[in-house]
Amino acid sequence: MSAIASEKEILNGDEIRRAITRIAHEIAERNEGVQQVVLVGIRRRGVPLANRIAAVLSDVEGVQVPVGELDITLYRDDLTLRADVPLVRTTRIDTNVTDRVVILVDDVLYTGRTVRAALDAIVDLGRPARIQLAVLVDRGHRELPIRADFVGKNVPTSRDEVVEVHLSEVDAGEDRVLIAHPPR
Amino acid sequence: MTLPESMRPTRRHVLDLDDFTRHEIETVLDTAIGMKEILSREIAQVPTLRGVSVVNMFYEESTRTRISFELAAKALSANVVNFTARGSSVEKGESLLDTMRTLQALGADILVLRHSYAGTAHLLAQHFRGAIINAGDGSHAHPTQALLDLFTLRDKLGTLERRHIVIVGDILHSRVARSNLWGLTTMGAHITLCAPPTLLGNEQFWLDTWPDLRIVYSLEAALQDADAVIVLRLQRERQEAGLLPSLREYAQFFALTSARLQAAHAGMLVLHPGPMNEGIEIAPDVAISAQSVIEEQVTNGVAVRMALLYHLALHLRRKGA
Amino acid sequence: MRYLITHGMIIDPSQRVATIGHILIEAGKVARMYEMTDRLPEADPDLVIIDAHGCLVTPGFTDLHVHLREPGEEHKETIATGTQAAARGGFTTICAMPNTHPAYDTPAVVRHVRQIARDVGTVQVEVIGAATVGRQGRTLTEMASLVEAGCIAFSDDGSPISDPAVMRNALAYSRMLDVPIMSHCEDTRLNKGWAMHEGAVSMRLGLPGYPAAAEEVQIARDITLAAMTGGHLHVCHVSTAGGVELIRHARQHGVRITAEVSPHHLTLTDRWVLGTLDAPPSAAQGSLTQRLDQYSHIYAAGIQSMRQSADLPLPAWLNPTLLPPFHTSTRVSPPLRTEADVEALIAGLADGTLDAIATDHAPHALVDKQCEYGLAACGISGLETALGLVLTLVHRGALDMLNAIACLTEGPARVLKRTPSSLRIGTQADLVIIDPDYQWIVDVNQFVSKGKNSPLHGQRLKGRVMLTMVAGQIVHQELGFGMTPRATPVASRLEGILNTDDDDA
Repeated sequence: MSAIASEKEILNGDEIRRAITRIAHEIAERNEGVQQVVLVGIRRRGVPLANRIAAVLSDVEGVQVPVGELDITLYRDDLTLRADVPLVRTTRIDTNVTDRVVILVDDVLYTGRTVRAALDAIVDLGRPARIQLAVLVDRGHRELPIRADFVGKNVPTSRDEVVEVHLSEVDAGEDRVLIAHPPR
Repeated sequence: MTLPESMRPTRRHVLDLDDFTRHEIETVLDTAIGMKEILSREIAQVPTLRGVSVVNMFYEESTRTRISFELAAKALSANVVNFTARGSSVEKGESLLDTMRTLQALGADILVLRHSYAGTAHLLAQHFRGAIINAGDGSHAHPTQALLDLFTLRDKLGTLERRHIVIVGDILHSRVARSNLWGLTTMGAHITLCAPPTLLGNEQFWLDTWPDLRIVYSLEAALQDADAVIVLRLQRERQEAGLLPSLREYAQFFALTSARLQAAHAGMLVLHPGPMNEGIEIAPDVAISAQSVIEEQVTNGVAVRMALLYHLALHLRRKGA
Repeated sequence: MRYLITHGMIIDPSQRVATIGHILIEAGKVARMYEMTDRLPEADPDLVIIDAHGCLVTPGFTDLHVHLREPGEEHKETIATGTQAAARGGFTTICAMPNTHPAYDTPAVVRHVRQIARDVGTVQVEVIGAATVGRQGRTLTEMASLVEAGCIAFSDDGSPISDPAVMRNALAYSRMLDVPIMSHCEDTRLNKGWAMHEGAVSMRLGLPGYPAAAEEVQIARDITLAAMTGGHLHVCHVSTAGGVELIRHARQHGVRITAEVSPHHLTLTDRWVLGTLDAPPSAAQGSLTQRLDQYSHIYAAGIQSMRQSADLPLPAWLNPTLLPPFHTSTRVSPPLRTEADVEALIAGLADGTLDAIATDHAPHALVDKQCEYGLAACGISGLETALGLVLTLVHRGALDMLNAIACLTEGPARVLKRTPSSLRIGTQADLVIIDPDYQWIVDVNQFVSKGKNSPLHGQRLKGRVMLTMVAGQIVHQELGFGMTPRATPVASRLEGILNTDDDDA
């Protein structure tokens, strides 16, 4: 993306690790343990984040929390507005979500539309006792009445900026979160 | 953050597989994996195509294809209307184009057409503003059947590249065979055709069009080293038209029997587009054997048709927006 | 009214004449020929001068095979519209086929049709009587009475006479009348349910085929019967290489046989049914619509493009990819065959095995064609594109101009055993003025025929009939043609006509 004039790192690898650890602790605390918890990563970068949270919980709580993968393509409200036809990927949640605490995990919370689609997708799969939302970055500018329960970092942004999350599982290179400013 | 390239933005209709690129076929098959997962859910429905109208226009008897399209459209929350030639104005002499224009005026977005005359889907595609899916036209093409065969084969064999697929039966009159030939060869498979000459037609045509293709009259020889065999339905009219001396002789030399199955490579898959004439082109025990994936073909058919509806409908709605 | 046609290239195959000069038409007859150096008649308000600079002046064409559809199917064509289309195509005599309702199988119907033709027809109409009652292939019609009523030949065209005994009797009986039996050669047991030529394209499209053999076995049968009876067999619309070979052989062995071929069988192939399936992937699907858009664009350009100087490379002139696949305008009986057949037909025309070019003009209503390919009516509306198609062969060097004109004038006359139309002084002035270099785009909506069914819509043709005269009366004239002096002809035009160029193959 050569069109982007400048980039600023807002989280480095260590900071991401600490944020995930903190979120994991908050999840355990809020839910009085993690026996009922199912982590559901929203494709794509929500999935490695969910796995990392599960790994921390396994260390801390000694419980293997189930992790699912959720593809929300078919629930999007912008399908007809996009220039492309997005690829449909597989949703893989091996645990029945009914009566469980489902924690949706995503990298960036922005307009809230992705989370709206994820909520619809989850309730089609069953009736969870509670649904909570964990995100690595909340950059504001909500268009729907949605808020996150667990936030790695709140980052004030302008609408024309782009937040890029790099995770080693899916992106080349190190973990980091950048904020890119558009060219002047 | 760019999403992978999906089906060509120019594709508006699915008339045959002869104009599908390998990438495009793979996109459909990959999408169908996600669709198959939806079908396995307790609530096997997603809201994606709410407000899209799909009309099944069936001018020829078909149970499984029509139901498959209907289920596919409903799983994506589209509106589905079934139209069959029986009991409609077709009987009163209304032309196909008139019927199509009526359906268009009533708001149909996607027409799924089954017709006994070749080229009919192309005819509608020249006049219809929405999308046409060819659900079988005469002996010409049956692209959705071929795609579900490709899906099933790729699922079981891992890849189609250099896989050896035998097609046995009434190839001359088979739209399934034609569409499969385009699809399988595009995906890199090797094909052997097996049939008596009266059911092959102009053999030079097959060899000229697909130079790697083999034609073998003996089913035993054809099945050697085959990874899968697609058994075609034998229409009884062929015997009446004099193309075969008798069904008995056909069954004796071209039926997939358990003896022939055992003589073949152990993992060889058995496919059949249905409906089967058990005892004629396929033995009943072969149809339900462990190597048979005939039932899975039916399930996969819904997923593949969902994938096509998804791509075509989104393309249409974007154009309309 | 007197007409003086000036500076035309006068081609008269019957006199083996090709020269530049002027022709005076007076009282419906060819009155005088002038050399370029001769003094022309004095200007006179009664004398219309038609400037034919760069054009050919030839005898009027005869079409042995036209479907006028009247009586019974006047929604497809009438004698009035059919003869207007003929005039536009340069035909001054056309022979009407009897597959009407009722068929031309009684003297009353034949007299009726001839009367209408005299009343409303633009060109001369000859009537071909049905060979069997109701064209049912069972009982011979009253051929002698029909000849008295004006029939010039007999045929069950469209419905082959399947019973060989009936065909034998038709050939034998007609011998006393000295008229040909025009046979539509097709063994319908070999092409049941057919939609197109049986070959690679039909295999690919899954369309039921009409094998070449279905025509050839019937030609062979009819030749044998003609040889046995001594009757005059005329083979209609030969479409196969094997058919040409059979006719050539029969001719060499003294069988009384003549044959015709249609302009579309001489120029189009079964590839046309395939249409755009072979279009490059980038242009694939939406392509149908894109191409239709492209179409209207070409058409718009065509109307503007009157005389265009730039020559287009061959064979790009005729482009099957303007059509979508399965376009019903390509459905015709016999079907469009292969390139090898086309080559054999051209060779047959060049060596005289085939006598005539006949259009098999078969107009249909839109509803008969806007349907499933296999259900579409067979036929091409061919009168108005015939010359343009034939001239593609001339421009390509496959046929010379004299031969081409002969196949439209002398050849048909030979089949009917008539004196060919000619430009001899004193003969009836049936003539055509052709601009062989005029490029135009076929637009079926501009046809005067009611039948708009042509696969050539949107195609560029080179060569057009500018003026047609029947008995000294102008029956067709391109807007403004000949009224203002034209530019001096380009020398190269004449070379092609006289076939003086022996360097290009």
